[in-house]
Amino acid sequence: MHLWGPAAAFVSAVVCSVTGSAADRGRTLGFAVTNWDTAIYESRFEDECPEGLTPSNEENWLRGLSQADRARFTSKGSGGYGNRPTRRGANGENVCHFPTSAVDPPLLEAEGKLSYGINLDGTQDGKATAKSCAHEKFQGVDGTPAVDNQMYRLLGCTYGWRHYGIVDINADGQRKANGLGLILIEVRNVDDLQNDDDVEVAFYRSIDRVAVDGSASPLPYGTYRIDTVNGVPRYGSVVKGKIVKGELITQPANVNLPFYGNYTFIEQRFRDLSLHLEIDPSGEHAKGTIAGYYDVEQLWDYIRGLSLTSTHQYSCPAVFTALKKLADGYPDASGQCTHISSAFLVKAVNGFIQHPTESKISEASRGKTSSNGGRVSAEN
Amino acid sequence: MALASCGADEPKIAGAAPTMRRLTEEQFRNSIADAFGADIKLGVKLEPLLRTGGLVALGAQHASVTPFGVEKLHQLAKSVASQVVDPQHRRTLVACGPTDPSAFDEACASQFFVRVGRSLYRRPLTEAELKARIESAAAATATLGDFYRGLGSSLTAMLMGPKFLYLIETTEPDPERPGSVRLDAYAKASRLSFFMWNAAPDNALLDAAARGDLDASSGLARQVDRMLASVRLEDGLRGFFADAFGFDQFETLEKDAIIYPVFNLQVAEDAAEQLLLTLNDVLIVRGEDYRNIFTTRHSFISAALARVYRVEAPNPTGWAPYEFPAGDPRVGIQSQVAFTALHSHPGKSSPTLRGKAVRELLLCQKIPEPPADVDFSKFNDPQSPLKTARLRLAMHTEQAACAGCHKLTDPIGLGLEKFDGVGQLRITEQGEPIDPSGDLDGAKFADAADFAKALSTNPASTSCVVNRLFGYGVGRVPSRQDQPVLDYLQQVFASDGYRYRALLQRVATSKAFFAVTSEAAGVAAQLAPSEAKGAP
Repeated sequence: MHLWGPAAAFVSAVVCSVTGSAADRGRTLGFAVTNWDTAIYESRFEDECPEGLTPSNEENWLRGLSQADRARFTSKGSGGYGNRPTRRGANGENVCHFPTSAVDPPLLEAEGKLSYGINLDGTQDGKATAKSCAHEKFQGVDGTPAVDNQMYRLLGCTYGWRHYGIVDINADGQRKANGLGLILIEVRNVDDLQNDDDVEVAFYRSIDRVAVDGSASPLPYGTYRIDTVNGVPRYGSVVKGKIVKGELITQPANVNLPFYGNYTFIEQRFRDLSLHLEIDPSGEHAKGTIAGYYDVEQLWDYIRGLSLTSTHQYSCPAVFTALKKLADGYPDASGQCTHISSAFLVKAVNGFIQHPTESKISEASRGKTSSNGGRVSAEN
Repeated sequence: MALASCGADEPKIAGAAPTMRRLTEEQFRNSIADAFGADIKLGVKLEPLLRTGGLVALGAQHASVTPFGVEKLHQLAKSVASQVVDPQHRRTLVACGPTDPSAFDEACASQFFVRVGRSLYRRPLTEAELKARIESAAAATATLGDFYRGLGSSLTAMLMGPKFLYLIETTEPDPERPGSVRLDAYAKASRLSFFMWNAAPDNALLDAAARGDLDASSGLARQVDRMLASVRLEDGLRGFFADAFGFDQFETLEKDAIIYPVFNLQVAEDAAEQLLLTLNDVLIVRGEDYRNIFTTRHSFISAALARVYRVEAPNPTGWAPYEFPAGDPRVGIQSQVAFTALHSHPGKSSPTLRGKAVRELLLCQKIPEPPADVDFSKFNDPQSPLKTARLRLAMHTEQAACAGCHKLTDPIGLGLEKFDGVGQLRITEQGEPIDPSGDLDGAKFADAADFAKALSTNPASTSCVVNRLFGYGVGRVPSRQDQPVLDYLQQVFASDGYRYRALLQRVATSKAFFAVTSEAAGVAAQLAPSEAKGAP
């Protein structure tokens, strides 16, 4: 059977409400990640960014101009200078493709003491280990000591990633609109929705988008087909986990996750990824954190690709330099760390995850039933 | 189709005067599609018809055309005619062409209007009608300097005319009953075709009418069997049940987006489609007992509906069969979103509206409108300590003016209370468990599944569809004098195992189906003789 035809066939994971009963044993939960936001903790700006926001490509270019050139290029507002802010390498190179071709003032790092994230290197002081480079620790927003999140230090004082910036807002909106890069989370072998010490969590990419209501809020109970290549899921990392007081926590593991946003596809290669996901009592919505070491090269590829949008407000040479400096995970032979500790705040809605296998439609037509039938939920 | 004889003879009835009915929206669209192809776009809707005797199709007898309606109709007719003669369509739809496109070609115009006229008027054009169309096209061609635009202009007038827009039943002397009249063959063909296919007669049926086949029972039976075997029978089923179940209300159905974010236009469209697919599946594809529509767990589901039902969509990009599992309260069409959402308030369910809909649409029983001075304040009080609709509705039993009707509706509608205002399943209302027990004409039920059984075994459920279908077919509200034949049809419906297809066959081949009286000589007589048939 051709997989993409209207009669494409799937067997599904199941969504369910969090009611905790004998009927829950061995159940499978499905979620579609609707929001994926870089975990930037914002409280007191003067504590977090005492030097202000990082100067952008544009600002650095303008500062480098003579007074006459500045007047000449800005006589028609910002529309008069085209891509000159990025093509300001020593020989006219694009500084986002050749970040060492220009030297900008250093990136302004976040200096707050609190951050989202988890302790990834296992240390309390951030000293270098076999799998990490020396770095400063944060205190977790929830009080957890020795949290690692160098990505926050990198981007916390950059306009595009703070709450008024639109890097993540754009990406979330684009995924919602076109369904590209939608992450599916399947939680298997759930015996107890409140406490279960042995569950399995799989990550997939969907080929269906999230349905939304009239105010663009995601709707629960959607059905999502897994993206496959020759019948095999394109993504499909499987990790072990547990449920503690209703919160799903996965063991650290190397996980590849899809991403689409700001017109860019990324296969996000995480090391030591952990998912912490709280599922609301209705079972319809969930929110939490994904933390892990993020591949520096991938992050740089993504960030430099955003450079044409001046509203994101960052300097490519400064980010590139700071990224190498702040990277804190998995050093290479030279001692340069190749990954950076990170955390992302995620929101998800429940859904039915269909696996590519025998025809669900023909099963239904033969009178077999959905494995999720008969479930009810209370009206508020 | 071979049907078991029930032994009873059909009682003779006088019938009623022939009718003149405006085409319904769907009939109009089907007629255009049949005449010119499905790719002709119809952007404007006709004026709505008034529901009469439980059917919009019967309100078509009383349709008038307002000035605004004429404007819309002109817009519609002009749009259709323009598409028919445009360069993209003219090769197939006009089929002939003038040597000089700016000059009039009478032979081609005649060929075009003979063919098109037969389809649109559902009978051959008279000589006078054909002459008028040709002259009109010739004059327009001379003015516009374009043969095809001239044809289009004349076609526009044809599409706006009553002979297309109205189903005008004409009669002729009945040779078997001297002094009486009968529907002429083309009127019979139209009655038959709109009844079974919700569309104008096809060529085969018009040919049969021309040969006089429909005046003989054997010829009629052959055509009925042919039509019953056609895939177009589904169109007929859709036309009838969408009308009988009040689907015109979907056009104005709205829900509170805050309370029911899952509801949108797609859900409304799919809900109506789900119910029609279910009916077609049970009644035509599977050929099951009509009463099974109230107890079936089999249905079809789309992705949008699956979110409302909170189940997996077997086919996220389209429709797929779906079986609600044993134990699920979704049993029968009355538990589907099309019924539960349509008969609810924008922000909450309504046992009263649902009970009223069951009585009126499924059992053909009339519930009076509420008195004008009803005080809803207690019932709608958001601070009321009465959390469930059952508790709040109990207030009605204390008021004599309300109790009479509410006793007829509420005990039924409460059986569907586990479906909220858009049909989502719930177990509580404001934290209080919902009790879905009730009563239908003395048959107590514990829940929606139990209610389905009570509904399916209620004698009114089958007599209702017989009465509605007969009225739908003959184009008028059945009267007391029709009762013997309705009783007869109910009897044969039962002996046929309540098979819908068999019922169609019984109605269509009954003498009563074509019976007309000569009194008033029908609508055709109300028109001047020249208007009725001969004049353009």
